[in-house]
Amino acid sequence: MRGYGPIFYLLEAYRGLRSNSLVNALALGTICMAMLIVGFSLLVFLNLTTAVRAMGDRLEMSVFLKDGLSPSDRDLLLTRLKSESGVRKAALVTKDQALTQLIRDMKGQEKLFQSLGENPLPDSYELTIDPAYAGDGKMEGIAKRIAGFFGVEDVSYGKQGAEMLGKLLRLVTYGGMFLAVLLGVSVVFIISNSVRLALYSRGQEIELMQWIGATRWFVTAPFLVEGILITTLGASLAVGILAGLFHALPGDAMLFLSGPGGFQFLPTGVIVLMIGGCGLLGLAGGLVSVNKFLD
Amino acid sequence: MIHLYRVNKSYEGIPALREITFSVDKGEFVFLTGPSGAGKTTLLKILFCAERADEGQIIIQGMNTFRLGPSSIPYLRRNMGFVFQDYKLLPHKTVFENIALALKVVGTPYGEIERRALTALKKVGMLNKEHLTPPKLSGGEQQRVAVARSLVNEPQFLLADEPTGNLDPASGQEIFKLFKEINMKGTTVLIATHDWETVRTMQRRIVAMERGRIVSDSRDSQKKPSPAAAVRPGTAS
Ligand SMILES: Nc1ncnc2c1ncn2[C@@H]1O[C@H](COP(=O)(O)OP(=O)(O)O)[C@@H](O)[C@H]1O
Ligand SMILES: [Mg+2]
Repeated sequence: MRGYGPIFYLLEAYRGLRSNSLVNALALGTICMAMLIVGFSLLVFLNLTTAVRAMGDRLEMSVFLKDGLSPSDRDLLLTRLKSESGVRKAALVTKDQALTQLIRDMKGQEKLFQSLGENPLPDSYELTIDPAYAGDGKMEGIAKRIAGFFGVEDVSYGKQGAEMLGKLLRLVTYGGMFLAVLLGVSVVFIISNSVRLALYSRGQEIELMQWIGATRWFVTAPFLVEGILITTLGASLAVGILAGLFHALPGDAMLFLSGPGGFQFLPTGVIVLMIGGCGLLGLAGGLVSVNKFLD
Repeated sequence: MIHLYRVNKSYEGIPALREITFSVDKGEFVFLTGPSGAGKTTLLKILFCAERADEGQIIIQGMNTFRLGPSSIPYLRRNMGFVFQDYKLLPHKTVFENIALALKVVGTPYGEIERRALTALKKVGMLNKEHLTPPKLSGGEQQRVAVARSLVNEPQFLLADEPTGNLDPASGQEIFKLFKEINMKGTTVLIATHDWETVRTMQRRIVAMERGRIVSDSRDSQKKPSPAAAVRPGTAS
């Protein structure tokens, strides 16, 4: 049997799209709108996550040591601190380092320290806490346990900040999941329906092709290509518009959302996923709609 | 070329074809007549594998259609042309594109498509309207394009279901003339119609159906005339 190559099916798909331009333009517009919403949500969500994560990396707790601990006591304490769940890192800050830091922090008021005879500050272990332990009083639990360890004078951390961070993290995680499910379901629905609507008007054509001896593959292939073309085109258009808006935006307009690297555009991987996912949906939509008309 | 033996077909328990037995030889020109609801369309659809018979043997060009899987149906159809009462041209495609589609469907090399489409259009006298879309043509012209499409792949067998049903008598005559020419070049032709005047004047084999049965066949009556085989005009639907 003679057959045609992929270029033939691409050309046929292009002809199909052009000859039904109104329906296809509508489908394209709908898909583009849906992906604009998805893209925008992703943009906000990803930046928010980065920002909150960066805050999480600065979640710290200071463990002040009693005076006159022997080196072996200190080592034992360090081991216990490190094995405490929720503690990611522990670093010793000697009283001298602490004083130097304090003086640096109080710049302009060095006189205050000149009268100081001996360094009144204690040695301390600075702990970095896993952001998962922010909020829900979990930090407080850790602090209480550590306060009971041998050789610990006092434990201090920013309680309010930690609780706030915990809430933010929860919001970002669950809010993100909720948004993903909601948007995911609607986008699958919108896109597969747009493709189906666009191809529905072609039932007559599909039926006729079968009557004049077309194989299943010959009928199906251009529709699949059309489905993929409409959706990837719609998604690319959405990404393009989003990128345009992003660059037109004044740099500090969305500063409140930005992480340490500033407000970032969608990473390439996410863009590829968005367009590729749409393409898959288009393929599925095309397959479903053609099969409706095939005997 | 075509043999049917005791073919039965019913829709939801109501018989549409009963014990149909007849055959068509290569090169024949056959009219299938009978009143509306007699089963003409059903019979053609079965020959075209658009419907499946419930019982009986159907042998087309040596192939038993009962044994054909769905994937071989397209290839069987490529040996048959089909002309519909309502033309079934795609309204958004030009006359040329409508013909070209039939060529593409069977995988005709790109370089041959134009030449062959134009040759077919020339045969039906529609060469000058190749760039128009079907809605801009008269019914007779649309049917001529449809005939060109059914011929473009040079089928051995041409089926037509009420091809003149939507046409005025003069256009109808033109279409029948086309079928006659096609038949003279060797294509077997089977036409379902209740255009009784034409059927009578054209002096070809007539198979009459009524309520799902073949009630007369002019080929048989030539051999052994009997009153029961008298040909009666069908009532128009
Ligand atoms: N798809 C169908 N479903 C149910 N009944 C049908 C269908 N097609 C045809 N019939 C019935 O089968 C009988 C024969 O119809 P048809 O072959 O169309 O007759 P004709 O073409 O001679 O007018 C009629 O009684 C018709 O109502
Ligand atoms: Mg009929």
